[in-house]
Amino acid sequence: MARRNTIVFFIIAAIFAFAVCALVYPLFDREEMRLGLDLVGGVHLVYQADFPEDSSAEERTAAMDRALITIEKRIDKYGVAEPIIQQLGDDRIIVELPGFTDIDAAKSLVEQTGFLEFREAELNGAGQPVYLADYLEQGNLSFIDLQEDGDRVFVLDILNEKEMLEHKTIAFLVADNGEIKLTDASGNPADREALEQYAAQSLSWISARGDDGTPLTGDLLADAFPSLDQSKVVPVPQVSIEWNSEGSIIFDQIAKRLYNSGAYGTPQRALGIFLDDTLLSAPQILESSYGGSGVITGNFTREEATELANLLKSGALPMPLKQPPLYQEKISATLGADFIDMSLMAGLIGIILVMLFMIVYYRLPGVLASLALIFYGAVVLAIFKLIPVTLTLAGIGGFVLSIGMAVDANVLIFERMKEEFAAGRTLGAAIEAGFNRAWTAIRDSNVTTFIVCAILYWLGSSIIASAPVMGFALTLFIGVAVSMFSAIVVTRTLLRLFVGTKLAKRTSLFSAHREKK
Amino acid sequence: MMLDITGKRSLFLIISEIIILIGIIALAVFGLKPGIEFSSGSMLTMSFEQEIDQSELREELTSLGYDNAIIQRTAAGDFFIRTQELTSDEKIALEEALGARFGALAEREFYSVSSMVAAETVHNAVIAVAIAAVGILLYITWAFRRMPKPFHYGVCAIIALVHDVVLVTGIFAILGAIIGWEINLMFITGVLAVIGYSINNTVVVFDRIRENLRRGVHPDFEMVVNSSLVETLSRSLNTSLTTLLVVLALLLFVGASIQNFALVMLIGVIVGTYSSLFVAPTLLIVWERGEWGNLIPLRRAKTKEA
Repeated sequence: MARRNTIVFFIIAAIFAFAVCALVYPLFDREEMRLGLDLVGGVHLVYQADFPEDSSAEERTAAMDRALITIEKRIDKYGVAEPIIQQLGDDRIIVELPGFTDIDAAKSLVEQTGFLEFREAELNGAGQPVYLADYLEQGNLSFIDLQEDGDRVFVLDILNEKEMLEHKTIAFLVADNGEIKLTDASGNPADREALEQYAAQSLSWISARGDDGTPLTGDLLADAFPSLDQSKVVPVPQVSIEWNSEGSIIFDQIAKRLYNSGAYGTPQRALGIFLDDTLLSAPQILESSYGGSGVITGNFTREEATELANLLKSGALPMPLKQPPLYQEKISATLGADFIDMSLMAGLIGIILVMLFMIVYYRLPGVLASLALIFYGAVVLAIFKLIPVTLTLAGIGGFVLSIGMAVDANVLIFERMKEEFAAGRTLGAAIEAGFNRAWTAIRDSNVTTFIVCAILYWLGSSIIASAPVMGFALTLFIGVAVSMFSAIVVTRTLLRLFVGTKLAKRTSLFSAHREKK
Repeated sequence: MMLDITGKRSLFLIISEIIILIGIIALAVFGLKPGIEFSSGSMLTMSFEQEIDQSELREELTSLGYDNAIIQRTAAGDFFIRTQELTSDEKIALEEALGARFGALAEREFYSVSSMVAAETVHNAVIAVAIAAVGILLYITWAFRRMPKPFHYGVCAIIALVHDVVLVTGIFAILGAIIGWEINLMFITGVLAVIGYSINNTVVVFDRIRENLRRGVHPDFEMVVNSSLVETLSRSLNTSLTTLLVVLALLLFVGASIQNFALVMLIGVIVGTYSSLFVAPTLLIVWERGEWGNLIPLRRAKTKEA
C-alpha cells in the first residue's frame, strides 16, 4: 500500500514537472498562451455567403472551400499571427484576426475581389532577367524594358523554416504621373536600405501580354482542376488549365516568346501566376504552343494541386458576401492590456483567498489541498497552452470559477473525514473512508456542470462562434475535470504520505475532534 | 444541542415566497432589457481626446439622425453609443462627423449584430435553456433513482431551481429598469452555470438524507432531514464561500465584458445556497406531512390561534 502510494506520488510529481515545463518552455511549438481578441485586441467578423438561388449543394460546398482559401491568402499577406478563417454552418465564414484592430481595413481586405494575373520576367537589352539590384543601382529610376510601362513586382524566392520555397513580394515599381517610384505593398515609398540585402535575388516581374498588348489575366482562364500526370510510373499530381478562345491565342503568343527567350530552368522561361500581387507559382513553359490547354507541374502534393487549381479558378471570391457582415466585433489593443493584468490579478487573488480559507479552516489537510490546488492550476494552464485553448476574459472567468469549485471535492472529503474521525475511526481509516464515501457525491455534483458546459459550448459555437461563451464552457469543463483528479488522487496521495509520520499524531493539525461520549 | 433548521421552515418558505413574488412582478412589469446580441444593432465605445459633454454628444447624434441612440459614459471616461445596425459607410460617416465636431477620437470597441444573427441567438439561447432543463431533469431522475420517493425529491429540487432562476432574472429586470443594465450571452452563460451549481448543492443534501434514511438514524422524517442538513451544513457553506471568493475577485478585478456573468453568479451562488439548505429540504417535509396550507401566511396565523 505504502509502496503503491509512493509510486503514485512520483507519477503526480512527474505530471506536475511536465506541466511546469510546458508553461515555462515552448513545448510542441507552443511558445505562448493563445489569447482571445478581448485580451490582445483584434477583429472578429462573420460573413454570410450570398449564393445564386439555383446553385447545387456541391457547388456551394466547393465555393465555400475556394472562398476560405482566397481569404486566407489575402490575410497571409498582412502578416497577422494566427488568424482564424473558418466555415461556420453551411454558408457562413468567420474571420478572426488577433492583434489586427483596423476593422475597416480588415473588412475591405476580406470583401475585395481578388485579381489573378500572369507575369513574366523583365529582360534587359541583352535578354537577361532584371533584378531589383539593377534598379537600386540607378540614380534616377527609369524602366529597363522600355516597351513595358506597367508596374513591376519584385519577388524574393526564399526557403522557409520547413525548407519549402516561398515567394515573397518585397517591393513594387510604379509609374505615377510620369515619375517612377519604388514602393512597398501599401503604396508608401520603399525603404531602399532594407531592400539592399535581398536585391540581387529579387526578380522583376512584368505583365505577360499578347502581341496586341492584352494582358493575360484570370478572366481569360476557362477552367483549372487538379489531375494526375499518368506518364510517370507513379502518377504525379499536377494542375490542368484550360483557356477560353481569346486566352488560347494570347497564351500561345506568350508561350512562344518565352520558349524562345531562354533555356529550360531559367527565369526567362517561367510564367508567373500572381494573385493580388503574390506569386503563387512560376511554372516553366515547356512547349512553344499549347492550343488552349496546359498543365502546371511541380513537386505538388494532391492537396497543393487542389489548392492551386482552386486559386486559379477563384482569383475573386466564388460568391459575393452579404453586406454588412452578420456580426462585427472590434476590440482595441489598449483595452486588452488592462484586461490581462486585471484578470491575472483576479485569478491570483481568487487562488490565494481560497488557499487561505482552506488552510485556516482545515489546517494540515487544507495545506495539502492548497498544494493540490497549485498542481491543479499548473496542469490546467498547461492544458490550455498545449491544446491550445484560446483564452478570453470569459475563459479566464471559467478557470477562476473552477478554482472555487475545485476545492468542493476536498471540502466534501475533509468534512467526511472529520465525521468519520469523530465517530471513532483511526486517522488513517478516517482518511480512506472520507475519500470513499465522498466519491458518489463528488461524481454526482460534477455531472451537472459537465451537462451545462456541453450545452454552453454548443450555444457559443452555433451562430457567431462566440469566443467568450465557448471559452468559458471549455475552460470550466477542463477545470472541473482536472479538479476531480487533483482533489481526489493528489490530495489523497499527499495525505497518505503523512499518515504514519510523527505529524499525524498531532490530531489538532487535522482540526478533527473526537466526540465526547 | 443540534441546530434546528427544519423547525423554522415556515419562516424560510415565506421569505422565499416574498422574494419570488417580487421577482415575478419585476419580470412582468419591467421585463429583461436585451443587449444587441439579442436585439441587433451597433455599439461603439469611443474615447475623445478633449473633455466633452454628454448632452453635446446627444445633440450631435440627434442632428446626424440617430435620435434613438443610447449614450452612456463609462467609468474610464469613454463614451458608449448604441444605435441601430450601421452599414460600413454609415459608421465611417458617423465617426468623421463626431471627429469634426469634437476633435480627435479613438474607437476602442465596436460591435455590430445583424437582425438575422440576433434572432438566431435568441432562438438558440431558448433551446439551450430548454435542453439544460431537460438534461437536469434526466439527471435528477437518475440521481434520485434509489430515493424512497424519487418524484418528491425531483420536484422539490426543481422548485428550488426555479426559485433561484426567478430571483436572478428578477434582479436583472430591476437593474435593467433602474440603470439600463442589458442582458447578453454571458448572462445566459451565468444563468446556466447557476442552474448547474445550485442543483449540486441540493443533490449533496438529498444524498445525505437518503443515506441517513437508510441507516435509520431517527424515526421522524423531519429529524432525519434536519440532521442531514446540519451534517452537510459546513460543507455547503464552505463550498459556497470558496466559490463566492473567486466570483468576488472576478467582479472586482475583471468587470467589463463578464460583469453580467459575475453578477449572475454572485446572486446565484448566494440564493442557490439558501434554496438548497432552506427551500428544497424543507419542502420535502411540507410535502411529507401535507402541510401545504401553512405556506399561506394568513391561514397559518389562524391555525395557530385555534
